[in-house]
Amino acid sequence: MSRVSRWGGAFAIAAALLWSLWSTEVSAGRLVSGAPFMLDFIRRMLPPDLSVLGQALHGALQTLQIALLGTAVAAILAIPLALSAARNTAPRWLFYWTRSALNVFRAIDTLVYALFFVAAVGLGPFPGVLAVVVYTTTVLAKLFSEAIEAMDPGPVEAVQAVGATGVQVLRWGVLPQLGPEFVSFTLYRFETNIRAAAVLGFVGGGGIGFYIQTYLRLLNYPAASTVLLVLIVMVMLVDFTSSRLRARLI
Amino acid sequence: MIQVRHLSKRYPSGSVALDDVSLDVAAGEFVTLIGPSGAGKSTLLRSINGLVAPSAGSITVNGEPVTGASREGLRAVRARVGFVFQHFNLLKRLSVLDNVRVGTLSRIGLWPSLAARFPEGETERARRALRRVGLAGLEDRRADTLSGGQQQRVGIARALVQEPRVLLADEPMSSLDPALSRSLMELLRHVNREDGLTVIASLHVLDLAMTYAERIVGLRAGRIVHDGPPPSLTPAVAGLIFEDTRA
Repeated sequence: MSRVSRWGGAFAIAAALLWSLWSTEVSAGRLVSGAPFMLDFIRRMLPPDLSVLGQALHGALQTLQIALLGTAVAAILAIPLALSAARNTAPRWLFYWTRSALNVFRAIDTLVYALFFVAAVGLGPFPGVLAVVVYTTTVLAKLFSEAIEAMDPGPVEAVQAVGATGVQVLRWGVLPQLGPEFVSFTLYRFETNIRAAAVLGFVGGGGIGFYIQTYLRLLNYPAASTVLLVLIVMVMLVDFTSSRLRARLI
Repeated sequence: MIQVRHLSKRYPSGSVALDDVSLDVAAGEFVTLIGPSGAGKSTLLRSINGLVAPSAGSITVNGEPVTGASREGLRAVRARVGFVFQHFNLLKRLSVLDNVRVGTLSRIGLWPSLAARFPEGETERARRALRRVGLAGLEDRRADTLSGGQQQRVGIARALVQEPRVLLADEPMSSLDPALSRSLMELLRHVNREDGLTVIASLHVLDLAMTYAERIVGLRAGRIVHDGPPPSLTPAVAGLIFEDTRA
């Protein structure tokens, strides 16, 4: 890179940061004067009101179910889409159209899909599941298609070379390479979807988010903190289990 | 055993890998293909088991056509032709035993192969092949935990368990050091003598070919420029084969 363009680049980044600083009304003074309110907020959350533990667990379980079902369905839907979005398995026109469509739908986050599906099918966990399915399908299809493109053709050829049938080549040449990667990506998205599904309740999509939002609105901070604690424990448990599983797969 | 007639291969890029190649290999022969990289050694070997479709010419293996064969016909030919790859082409995450059992796929049915339920006899054959290449005891190791030389031995065991008539080896030693190359050449020589297996191995190292081959075929720019026993490969002939084609 030339000297001029390096200085030009540094200047452009600095200008963008300053502009953002100004536009977002960042103010150290407001942060300092707000600090007591934050402390007060935390103080009011303590001690947690454990009488709502049952509700919190119920919400957490529902969030887990939304993430589980949504991720599983998305993983299945993503496989044919990934095959159509990989350069080495799809004709050029199909590759182009599938990639473009996936990029368009992946630009919208789960929460926005939830708003759409709540309007379409009504409140509850069901629109939450649909939202998770649509967004996760686009993400997994992209990850899967990249794994397909990165697959080593050598072992596939070796299985062909022993006189195996097409189905046997898929089972012994392709599946051992892609299977663990697909499962690993799916587990990773499941971890992420627990977090995404936890806020779906804010827009009527069911799960633990509904309780967080309700108690905060009712200014019942001790109850809200119980729900948050349950959420934290659940997320940590899922992360721990899932990352252990992923480490064993690859 | 192998008949190659007027074989030509032109790749879509326009490059010519093989140019009117004819070759006869009798049952039980041990042939080494030599030539600089890009001479067409790989293309020739890969054409013989149908991994590459030639542009013109014909190939038969044991009287069965390879070129123009139906899908089933090609599979039947491949089942009796073992292929050893330069980069081993093992399934890295699978066990050594499973990699070798892949060589039995042409003999087992659809459902057992999908469910990975290999018949006891085939598993025993795979274990025997592993003993033969000197890897007894490593059956349950993941393939990618083995050294390069061991991985190539797994590749050879996978080919042997097919119980092939022909063994094709595409620069099997080029990823290995000289000492390992010798021991693997000994192994190929051994199966050639003991099983009467027809072997064609391409090599990029001349002295290995001189030591182990019965017949040396020299390729240069897609054409056969030499064919004879090792003594016939004089320095002048070697110079002709390996002369810098870029000049």
